[in-house]
This record gives sequence, structure tokens and C-alpha cells, in this order.
Amino acid sequence: MTKSRKWPIIAVLAIALGGCKILPTPAEGDTAAAGGKFDPDAMVAKIWDAKVIPYLEQKAGPFAEVDALARSDAKAAGEKYGNPNKQANSPWTYAVRVDGKIVAANTKSRAASIDVDVDVDGDGKADLRAEIGPAMRGTALRDVLDFVNFNEFINQIDFAQYGKAFNTYADKTVLSKLPRENLEGHNVRLLGAYVPANGSDLPLLTPAKAEIGPSP
Amino acid sequence: MKLTRRLTMAAFAAALAMGTALPAYAADLIAIITPSHDNPFFKAEAVGAEQKAKALGYEALVLVHDDDANKQSQLIDTAIGRGAKAIILDNAGADATVAAVQKAKDAGIPSFLIDREINAAGVAAAQIVSNNYQGAQLGAEEFVKLMGEKGNYVELVGKESDTNAGIRSKGYHDVIDEYPDLKMVAQQSANWSQTEAFSKMESILQANPDIKGVISGNDTMAMGAWAALEAAGRKDVIVVGFDGSNDVRDSIKAGGIKATVLQPAFAQAQMAVEQADAWIKTGKGPAEEKQLMDCVLINAGNADKLETFALKQ
Repeated sequence: MTKSRKWPIIAVLAIALGGCKILPTPAEGDTAAAGGKFDPDAMVAKIWDAKVIPYLEQKAGPFAEVDALARSDAKAAGEKYGNPNKQANSPWTYAVRVDGKIVAANTKSRAASIDVDVDVDGDGKADLRAEIGPAMRGTALRDVLDFVNFNEFINQIDFAQYGKAFNTYADKTVLSKLPRENLEGHNVRLLGAYVPANGSDLPLLTPAKAEIGPSP
Repeated sequence: MKLTRRLTMAAFAAALAMGTALPAYAADLIAIITPSHDNPFFKAEAVGAEQKAKALGYEALVLVHDDDANKQSQLIDTAIGRGAKAIILDNAGADATVAAVQKAKDAGIPSFLIDREINAAGVAAAQIVSNNYQGAQLGAEEFVKLMGEKGNYVELVGKESDTNAGIRSKGYHDVIDEYPDLKMVAQQSANWSQTEAFSKMESILQANPDIKGVISGNDTMAMGAWAALEAAGRKDVIVVGFDGSNDVRDSIKAGGIKATVLQPAFAQAQMAVEQADAWIKTGKGPAEEKQLMDCVLINAGNADKLETFALKQ
């Protein structure tokens, strides 16, 4: 009886001491909290050309390849084309490049989008949907980056604003300059990030670079 | 041999001397502290955590702070006094809670936060929260679609001291404000409360009879708003909530409220207990303090699968 009481108490002490070592010291410094005022737009503008585009160019695979691997082994695809440090419960986000043909366009909605067929021979069926703004959804561009860590932000609000700033920047510098009329049939080249299809929806790609070619 | 034995005895004596301050049942108590169970969301958290704690062989001490930071502080004292090995906490304020969690940490008790964040890192052992922004965007996108990208609408906001009230509102507006033909004619806090939402909705409706939609920061407020709209014969108004409660599920199935966003509250609470158990058994915390869990849109298409804040596969 006495013996059985002693062990748990020692265990308590050991854990209490062990616990001291485990908690990571929050890193101050080059994160969102530094420099007083939090300015996500400026933070994104600063890294876009220097880090975001090079990261996407280096990490991205052709859509057909990425999507095939994503369907058969999401984790392997995520490690190769995505951010292996992502939040455990979040879906994978993949860096991807797209060369294809626009088969449908929805430019009536503020959340405008183009549906793209990427098959080599072109079966005329859309394989993905790319958002072209100005209203944009999701945080794919933020989530694909392996150097962005939620734990470096004070709270979800800052992290969310940071995610939104990527879409704003893409819209301002790239997507708002795309043509909007008679897009069907044009060739399109995109670099960006996407989350795999949920149910019957098409995979939704958020472009960081986009070119729409002349009418064929 | 003799020396070893003597040292062992000395260690036992020391442990006993320190141990006398701890009650005998301390070894296996986990405290579970949440807001009032009047909101089924918090009840689901408490039930989920308690079930998991018992399944893992712990005794559970279930307490409610009623969103009162002073009461929460007293409950943390109670947990410390009772020698809890870990605290599962859905807290009573992002700023006010930091000191209370620090107090537990200083007493050697790790806190595993669920649902709501605090404005400090390195104080809690874990902060497992729903991705409220992602969820709010899902809800807002559905709302925009249902509204046909235009019309007057009302926003009901949650309790201001709760980070989630702000983050959901921000998530809603980051989507809705992209549509200039959607006009917010009233924005009021109903403090997560069903009765408050009912009375606020009544007066908003009197001042703005031309509203087409209501987007609400949580399900209890959505239920209050819907009851007021129904009483006024305005079942045409589109209402979207947040949480994924069984009440709203039933309303969706009956053609009332149009959509909500499920937070995996039950799974989240259980995950927190699992991490507390790992800490107690191995002294190891989770790899990351802050952990986000994604939310899921619930509408007429999948409402059938929703049960007590979890989606059946």
C-alpha cells in the first residue's frame, strides 16, 4: 500500500520537472509580432519576388503529375509538392504549374474563375478551376509555403490577414491585369497552389503567376 | 547495494515529504473547464473530454466558468488545489486567461486549451482550435451564393472578449465585402446568446424590414434570430450560422436555417485529452503548441450526417 503510493508521487515530480524542459520558448524576432505594427500586405510584398515565386517555381510540378500522385498518395504528394509542416488536420495544398486551354469562364461573379483543360490532347473537359479575382477564396498560397508557421503569429486573426494578403497581392499585381472577355479557347499558363477537389467540385487553384495567350 | 538502498530510501522520504502536500487522488485527475453547458457546443466539448479521460483511466473534474474570468481563476485554483495532473480549458477571454494559465503552469500543471486561443505563446502546453477563419469563409461563401451576390443583410456578432467572435466576423467580411451589392444594414453583438439574438433580431427587423439575409457568429444566435424571423412571418430570410449544432441541423432539414459550419468540437476535446495523457505519461508535449482544425460546411446536402458536433463518415 505504502509502496503503491510512493511511485505515483515520484512520477508526478518527474513529470513536473520534465514539463519544464518541454515547452518551447516563443521565438521573438523576424515574425509577425516584430517591429510593432502588424502589416501583412507589406510582409507579403517583401517576400513575393524574393521567396514566394522562387519557392513555387522550384516546388511545383505539372498539374497532371501532381494530381495523379495526390489521388494515390496525398502524403507523398504533399511532401514533394507542398508544405510538410502543415497543420495536421488541414488538407494538403500543392504547388503546381498548369499549361492548358480555357474551356469555360465565369466572369459574371466577383469571384471570377476559369475552368482549364490540361490534357495533352485536350479532351475539352475541365480538370481544374483557377480563381482570377477580384473576390478570392481560401489561403492556398499561404498554406503551401513551408517557411510560414502559424505558431509565429499572435492569433488566428493575424494569421488569417496574412493569408488574405497573398490573395490581395496576386490580384493586384497579376490577376487584375488578365483579359476578361471571350476567354474560352485561349491557352493559359499558370503557377500557383491548389487544394484537391472536394466531392464533385473541381480542384481550386489560386494563381501567383498567370498568362493568357492570344486567341488560337 | 546498501548505498543504493539508502539513496532510494532517501528519495522516497523526500518524495513523501513533498508529496504530503498533494492529495492521494492527485495522480489521476484531469480538470475540464468550459463555458456554460447551456450552449450544446460547450457541453459536447465537456462530454467528449470526460469520455476520453475516463477511457484513459483518469478521474474527471468537470467545471464551468460561465465566461467569467474571475470565476475561471477560482476554478484554476480549485484544479491546482485538487492536484489535477492536467487542465483541459475552453477559456473565458484571450487576455484575461493568460495569468490563470500561467498560475497553473507555475504549479506544474499543463493546460490544454481548446476552441479559443489566448494572446500568449509558451504559457499553455497546447492550443487546439478550430480554424475559425477558414470556417467563416466557408459560411460566407455559402451565404453569398444563397443571397445571389446582392441584397441587404444583418450580422450578429459574438461576445467581444472571445477571439472567435472577431475572427469569424473578419472571415465573413473578407468574403462578403468583395461584393459591393451586398449591404450590411445592421451589425450587433448578441453575446452568443439565443434569447439576446431573439430580441435584437426583433428590433432590427422593425427598423429594417427589407433584409434578405442574416449571418450569425454562432448557432445559438442563429436559432434566436430564426425564431424572431419565424414569429414575424419572415421565413424567406436566409440565415447562416456557425458551430454545427443539432438544433441548427434540424432547422436545416426542416427548411429553416440554410447552412452552418461544423467545428469538430467533440474530436477537438478528445484530442486535447490524448495530448494531456501523453504529457502525463511521457512528459512530452505536442510538437506545436498551436494546432488548427479545419471546419466543414453543413447544408441540406450533408445535414443528415451531423450528430453532436461530429460528421458521420
